[in-house]
Amino acid sequence: MNVIAEGKAPYLAVDPDGFRAHVREHKQRALTPRLMTAAEAVSRYVAEGDYFAYDCNYFQRGPSTLIREVIRQQKKDLWLCGKFTYVDIGLLAGAGCASKVDCGFFWPGAAVDNRVKDGRLEVYEYSNIVMTLRLQAGAMGLPFLPVRSFGGTDGFEHSGCKLVEDPYTGKPITIVPALNPDVSIIHVQQADVFGNARVFGTGISHEDCALASKKVIVSAEEIVDTEEIRRDPGRTSIPYYAVDAVVHAPMGAWPGNCGGYYGSDTPAVIEAFGAISRDAVEAYVEKYVTPFASDAEMFEKLVGAERLAKLRENETIKDGYRA
Amino acid sequence: MTNSLGLREGIGTRAASFNEREMQICTVARMVEDGKTYWVAGGGSPMYAALLGIRLYAPSAQYITEDGVIAPEPMLPFEPVMTMVSSRAGYRALAWGTMNTAGNHAQVGLMDYGILNTLQVDQHGNINSTAIGEYGSGARRFGGPGGADSIAALCWRTILMTDQEKRKFVERVDFISSPGFLDGTEGARERVGLPPDTGPFRVVTPCAMYDYGDPVAHRKLRLVARAPWVSVDDVLEECEFLPVVADDVAVLDSPTEEELEILRTELDPRGQNTGERGTWVIYDADSGEYTRAG
Repeated sequence: MNVIAEGKAPYLAVDPDGFRAHVREHKQRALTPRLMTAAEAVSRYVAEGDYFAYDCNYFQRGPSTLIREVIRQQKKDLWLCGKFTYVDIGLLAGAGCASKVDCGFFWPGAAVDNRVKDGRLEVYEYSNIVMTLRLQAGAMGLPFLPVRSFGGTDGFEHSGCKLVEDPYTGKPITIVPALNPDVSIIHVQQADVFGNARVFGTGISHEDCALASKKVIVSAEEIVDTEEIRRDPGRTSIPYYAVDAVVHAPMGAWPGNCGGYYGSDTPAVIEAFGAISRDAVEAYVEKYVTPFASDAEMFEKLVGAERLAKLRENETIKDGYRA
Repeated sequence: MTNSLGLREGIGTRAASFNEREMQICTVARMVEDGKTYWVAGGGSPMYAALLGIRLYAPSAQYITEDGVIAPEPMLPFEPVMTMVSSRAGYRALAWGTMNTAGNHAQVGLMDYGILNTLQVDQHGNINSTAIGEYGSGARRFGGPGGADSIAALCWRTILMTDQEKRKFVERVDFISSPGFLDGTEGARERVGLPPDTGPFRVVTPCAMYDYGDPVAHRKLRLVARAPWVSVDDVLEECEFLPVVADDVAVLDSPTEEELEILRTELDPRGQNTGERGTWVIYDADSGEYTRAG
């Protein structure tokens, strides 16, 4: 294939055969329970230097409990998959956990800006959909996929994408490198102990994220019986054999929302924005993460049952959520 | 009734006071066409403009968002910033998908219009939302294109919303995050793999509107309309480069009470997007005069 132009940024090595070999060796095809605590899952499956993906974000059905656990355990030098993200990049970078980010979008602010300026955080440029397409290629076991956007941007120059001559039409087309993250964390409404997971409502890239990643931690609002999964198999978004660990994490997307379960906690959302804007992530972490052994303890001692109940009450819409 | 710019007359009585941000949203709302699809950037002015347009002017227009919400009837107002992946934003949609759903539907040509907000725009409609200053450690870092790159590349026509300020209206953006007509030469978009016949359509600021020539001859911004309280020179003052000026610059109509009622009480009752942003304008119905406050 004739390469017309290519971006100059480093990108995670593309290795579909290596990924297949990993899957063959490590993904559990037996129906074995994999329920564990957030602390155990993060300790076992997130390693220093990992390419780290999360689906949705800290405010929108994202794996916020798991992100706080990653910060609690001070996993270092992560390379972040920054698609459709608000404060997550600023939080993880500000807490000293990230050194690189593939950027689709993130909420800007001093926490990110300062680290980019002094070189603690390297940013490579993509768009949200280029990132979800990279994950789709990874989830399909392919080395790349073509896309009819992104060409001509300055982001292209600072990415791992290439412009090639399409062998079928002869026209130029952008191709994006497949992404197989070392680890991805995904928050869902329901899962069974084996990892069969149900996402209700829209999403960003949860299915591809799970299929594309070497290690997958799913946190769930509710752990449901496998009989319930079998009763309505069409609702299963992620099948068990893609999943390495299941964590029961009620309010696991707090301070964000979780469709059908609770609305967002507006003052806490604004507080997180503030921490990024003022580069005050350390204080945020000292308030919400380090004093507590787990999110359950943080919810009990800091946020309080009454406030959480109110957030559940605020989520009046049930149509389309829950089975 | 629409004029040559595709603008309707506003429904109702001209409002006595409003701000320029509301003016901008109402202008875009009046451009919304029945039976067309709109891919709107999440949150802020583009979504309010689409919702207001559908509500008042084009009930059979539909919109989608980047998280794969197709044609919702959202429960308003949204919680702050929760304009995607939230039950209120996705309420009563016809279908729910994911981000690749939105991308694929635009890529096959189902999206007539994209509506985007941007930090900085240049004479060829290129969009910067990545960095101001020389890219790298010397730049001030912003959030990146998000979904805007796909919207600008794949929708048939793109409407941009931005402020009328010199530093935002530049000859060449510091960084092309999302494509306009790129270097402005014929076929520039197609040469980098973007679908043909797509691209920038209008730029709407709080006090002006631009197209790119008719037919798109210049692929360069052309001032075609202004708000009644500014002159053509006032607008040009707030451009770093000199845009083409249409022979006959139209005068945009100001917001109506009916539009503002919906905007202020249903769409943005907290005034998050429209309340404190933008200069206030007073309209005196007796004299027909507009006065810009401050």
